[in-house]
Amino acid sequence: MTDIVLPLLIAVPIVAAVAPLLLSLWSTETGWPVATVAALIEAGLAAVLLRSVYFDGRLVHEVGGYPAPYGIELVGDGLSAPIVALVAVVAVGVLAFARSAGPRRNSFYSAYLLCVGGLMGISVTGDLFNMFVFLEITGLSTYALVASDRSGESAIAALKYLLLGTTGASLFLIGVGYALIATGTLNMVDLSVRLAEIYTTPGGSRVVLASFGFIAVGLGLKAAIFPLHTWQPDAYTYAPDTVTVFIAALASTVYAYALGRVVLTVFTVDFFDSVPIAQDGLLALAAVSIVAGSALAAVQSEVKRMFAYSSVAQFGLVVAAFALATPDSILGGVIHLVGHALMKGGLFAAAAILAARHGARTVDDYARLGYRSPVVAAAMAVLGLALVGVPPSIGFLGKWYVALGAVRSEAWPVAVVVFLSTLFTLVYVARLLERLYFADPGSAPTPAPGNAEAVADGGDESEEDRIDSRAPDSVSVGMVAVVVLTALVVVGLGFATSGFETLLEPVLSEVFSQ
Amino acid sequence: MTEVVDPRPIAAVLISVVGTFAILAAHRRPNVREGVTLTVALGKFGIIASMVPGVLAGDIYVWSLGSFVIDIPFELRADALGLLFGTLASLLWIITSLYSIGYMRGLDEHSQTRYFASFAMSLSAAVGIAFASNLLVLFVFYEVLTAATYPLVAHDETEEARKAGRKYLAYTFGGGVAVLAGTAVVYWLAGTVAFTPGGIEALATADPTLARGAFALLAAGFGVKAGLMPLHSWLPDAMVAPTPVSGLLHAVAVVKSGVFGISRVVLDVYGPEAVADLGVGLALGSVAAITLVAASVIALRKDNLKRRLAYSTVSQLSYIVLGLSILHPDAITGGLLHIPAHAFMKLTLFFCAGIIHVETHTDDISDMAGIGKRMPLTMAAFAVAAAGMAGIPLVAGFVSKFYLLVGTVSVGNYVFAGALLLSGILNIAYFWPVVYQAFFESEDAHDAKPLVENPLGGMERSSLARPDGGRPEDGDDSADEDDDLDVDPEEFGRPDFSGSSEKRDYSEPAPLVDGEYAVDQNPSDHRVEEGDETEGDDADDHTSEDHHSTEDHHDEHHHGGPPPSGWTRSGWFGGESTWFMLGPILAAMTGSVVLGLVPHTAVFLRLIDGIVSAVLAGVTF
Repeated sequence: MTDIVLPLLIAVPIVAAVAPLLLSLWSTETGWPVATVAALIEAGLAAVLLRSVYFDGRLVHEVGGYPAPYGIELVGDGLSAPIVALVAVVAVGVLAFARSAGPRRNSFYSAYLLCVGGLMGISVTGDLFNMFVFLEITGLSTYALVASDRSGESAIAALKYLLLGTTGASLFLIGVGYALIATGTLNMVDLSVRLAEIYTTPGGSRVVLASFGFIAVGLGLKAAIFPLHTWQPDAYTYAPDTVTVFIAALASTVYAYALGRVVLTVFTVDFFDSVPIAQDGLLALAAVSIVAGSALAAVQSEVKRMFAYSSVAQFGLVVAAFALATPDSILGGVIHLVGHALMKGGLFAAAAILAARHGARTVDDYARLGYRSPVVAAAMAVLGLALVGVPPSIGFLGKWYVALGAVRSEAWPVAVVVFLSTLFTLVYVARLLERLYFADPGSAPTPAPGNAEAVADGGDESEEDRIDSRAPDSVSVGMVAVVVLTALVVVGLGFATSGFETLLEPVLSEVFSQ
Repeated sequence: MTEVVDPRPIAAVLISVVGTFAILAAHRRPNVREGVTLTVALGKFGIIASMVPGVLAGDIYVWSLGSFVIDIPFELRADALGLLFGTLASLLWIITSLYSIGYMRGLDEHSQTRYFASFAMSLSAAVGIAFASNLLVLFVFYEVLTAATYPLVAHDETEEARKAGRKYLAYTFGGGVAVLAGTAVVYWLAGTVAFTPGGIEALATADPTLARGAFALLAAGFGVKAGLMPLHSWLPDAMVAPTPVSGLLHAVAVVKSGVFGISRVVLDVYGPEAVADLGVGLALGSVAAITLVAASVIALRKDNLKRRLAYSTVSQLSYIVLGLSILHPDAITGGLLHIPAHAFMKLTLFFCAGIIHVETHTDDISDMAGIGKRMPLTMAAFAVAAAGMAGIPLVAGFVSKFYLLVGTVSVGNYVFAGALLLSGILNIAYFWPVVYQAFFESEDAHDAKPLVENPLGGMERSSLARPDGGRPEDGDDSADEDDDLDVDPEEFGRPDFSGSSEKRDYSEPAPLVDGEYAVDQNPSDHRVEEGDETEGDDADDHTSEDHHSTEDHHDEHHHGGPPPSGWTRSGWFGGESTWFMLGPILAAMTGSVVLGLVPHTAVFLRLIDGIVSAVLAGVTF
């Protein structure tokens, strides 16, 4: 009976998304409470799923009772359960953050819940076209979220994201179309069997390769791999800070998970063995992304943009992990997906607090903030070092497994790039940390006071009067607590290998059983 | 070797983590804060010292958290080699903490809380490195050490300090990446990365090319912190840090952790037999021998005392690496014994440099003539420690050097033996002038130092008089410092070229600007600043180092040297400075003498004998 958790995970937030809009007939303050209740229910469902997968393995639900391969299957296994848990936890965390940070409109919370529902859908679906549907749901709600502070810059960024994101989803759909034409089925497990019959025959591999290519590029666009990343820096930078925390932690993460799911479950490792160019191409793309993303991040002066380019590099690492397709690297990929989401979300949240308190947006503005906001800056330092890969932290753990996977499969160029990614990340993180603590006292221009100081009466209707429309209205203890908690979890999970291993072991044995 | 499960290894690591937080909490009460540091230091040493008898008797104390990554456990193991480093670091931390109190308060330094907190964290990482039971745990603490020592390197918050900090991070994180890569390759080849006395068996039978590659990665990674050339360049720049940092961290904890890593790799990961079979021992020894000699030569030319000591450190660390690469029991013994020996001696030397800075603001050797009058105890300790560095008997350096020489000669490696002897002579060459001029020369009549003062490649001189009276090089770029004279013309009177009136009465001495004569702010006559050399080629590593020392004469507030009336005479009873600093200096000096007189009783040599016999069990020479 526990498999009912799977459709509930999707249905609850989508149904709840209607409530704030309906309830706004009575009051405009209903958005946050409704969203919080829904998110807490989600967290409970996610916990049930995680527990079930941890102890009992794979969980399957057939939607509407229709059997696979005709019906849609929802699957919870070691690959998807951590992502589901991540989405639920981050959703609750961001809501805790948004209580003081805003935005406050009911429509925002409707879009938020819709997005959570879409993300859950991508995570648990076992049907390729169903994945496209949820891809679109997530995408559309994300575009709305990015523009939710109603400023010109965020509108343009959202438009850019919309155009490129829809292109990506369309490419994904074309790939799914090719797969359907070749095999006649859309169920992932069934596809893997039927595709295998096709690409092992001479000449048959072209259709499959085409399908793979379109899907990979489409998802790569969504996950913002270089050179398909161009929407991401603007979207992250100009979205309201709360939204940036949410989409940085979740959106690209789940899209990268989708890529991993497609690679491992639909096309499988055998496809890489039969058609090596697919693996080599993906690996090359990932390696370039790591280097280019870090290089671009290093030259940024605005902090949010720097973190956005950093995500490009980190997702290159994740794609490399899935493309290597060894047990170690897949474990590393999943760990890094979860870890990066937490680290990047925490970093953006800390940046939001610093922007609200001190109006600090660029690296120069951060001069000596380590002493003016010691707790937040310390959390930022811990998260930054975890991103670099300093142990003990989940950042180190993921990187180690991916590197070990590369060494074991003797993919030396990839191994070198993965090892050097530590140094690449260090360039921009160290710059930020040095600025926070060791900047010259006289060098920093006095930054404009942040929103938390500027709003005299604290009225929450005066969003248009704020100096910086992206920054939170005010900084509460809860916001700081969220950031500190994230930093502690990131370090604590550095010791949690055994948990991840237990979760992923059935998946890995299945993937590598042939 | 019986393994005993015991929480003391992790307790030794965690006590100063707790201490770090306590120090941060006590930031408003300096005396409480300093008390926390001292208590924690004493506690740490107590825990570690309590394990020594057991380890000498053959026990090994183990504490494990279970599997950390794959099947590699997060485990701490207090064995003889670990205790060697751990005892050393924790003992010297006590001494350094006392010295730090005197130093930081003497200079009224800023951010003392951050300083003491980072220090505690660094020591925690150092002890973690000492007790790591496998390469991965060692890597974890290695990275934590880098992160914890960075605030100490960049402490001054000046542009120079920040640059030094960036360089430090770049080099040490790069080294960490190499260590991680080597660890991954070793794990892939051998299936384990745990330290096994005598080496991991599977590694000896693995593919030689890959094994050599992994050794190169590990040696390079650890070699960054161990100051092997050409990866040593961060060390002289890190001298911008406060002297206790330079002393403990860059002469004891950080660099010794690099050397310790190499010793673990040679002794416990590869093992002497595999190192000999693969041929990597000779390569490592050659790098060490070159570093030995080259660093000593560079040190001859350094005027800034701390920089001279930095290059001396680079040179002395290679003694240890050389000893480890020779693989004869005496050579290994000598190398390992040099870890504590050098630590005591170098700490003494750095503390002397620091106390001189605090008391007289003098950093350059050329200002230190006759300083033995002002700081007799300090310079006496300096003399003893310097003698030990050169290998003079009765001080610790002699014992380790003797073992090293015996070892190299026994194996027939006369080139290395020659390098050691040459380095000993060079040591005398760069330490003796400091000692001699302190006691036997005076401020107003001291000898020139041609090695320091003269540029490489000689100077151009002219026998004919030059119209402007300047030195031949004054037309070059770096001598245009007249623009920087911040002298108010109104105060001194503008030069009146009409020749008619003279507003200034030249029978009076010129007024002082910032405590010295205006003409002396940018002296051009009696000495050549190192930055004035017009060496352009960076091909030679030695010359490029000197460009880094152009910061020597940019030290803004350092008008070092004797006051105009000469050094004041302090007695031999501690009138020269506070006992917070003098005590540690004398303690460190005594330590090096004790280690030189009775190395077995001072427990280090006994530990080392245990290590060597365990590692070389069954290996014949």
